[in-house]
Amino acid sequence: MAEQTVAEAAETEALTSDELLVEEVSIDGMCGVY
Amino acid sequence: MSTEIQFDLDRPWQVDPRVSMRPEPFGALLYHFGTRRLSFLKNQRVLAVVRALGDHPSARAACTAAGVTEAELPAYRRALAALAESSMISERTVV
Repeated sequence: MAEQTVAEAAETEALTSDELLVEEVSIDGMCGVY
Repeated sequence: MSTEIQFDLDRPWQVDPRVSMRPEPFGALLYHFGTRRLSFLKNQRVLAVVRALGDHPSARAACTAAGVTEAELPAYRRALAALAESSMISERTVV
């Protein structure tokens, strides 16, 4: 459940690699979410 | 938008001490307590590489130990460079 919230609230910015080995997510938008 | 990231495969690396690593079916979830950023490792092999970093004298050796082939190495180098850029991994000093 918490993970779903994180996934929904996060701004996903796919960075990186040719074959998408790593994906980064910012959770700055999570500040007001409890 | 080009990403010209320097990453030295021949140096020793480690998972940053402020990073918590949680294995997941897709690979792993990394959370950095300092930067409050998340990184997803998207397969088991890149997870194996990251886990092996601290046990090997170089990132290249960790890749080899995890079964990364020469052909795959550039992609893994980019992945490690991204993790270094976001401070998920850091260089360590060896004795």
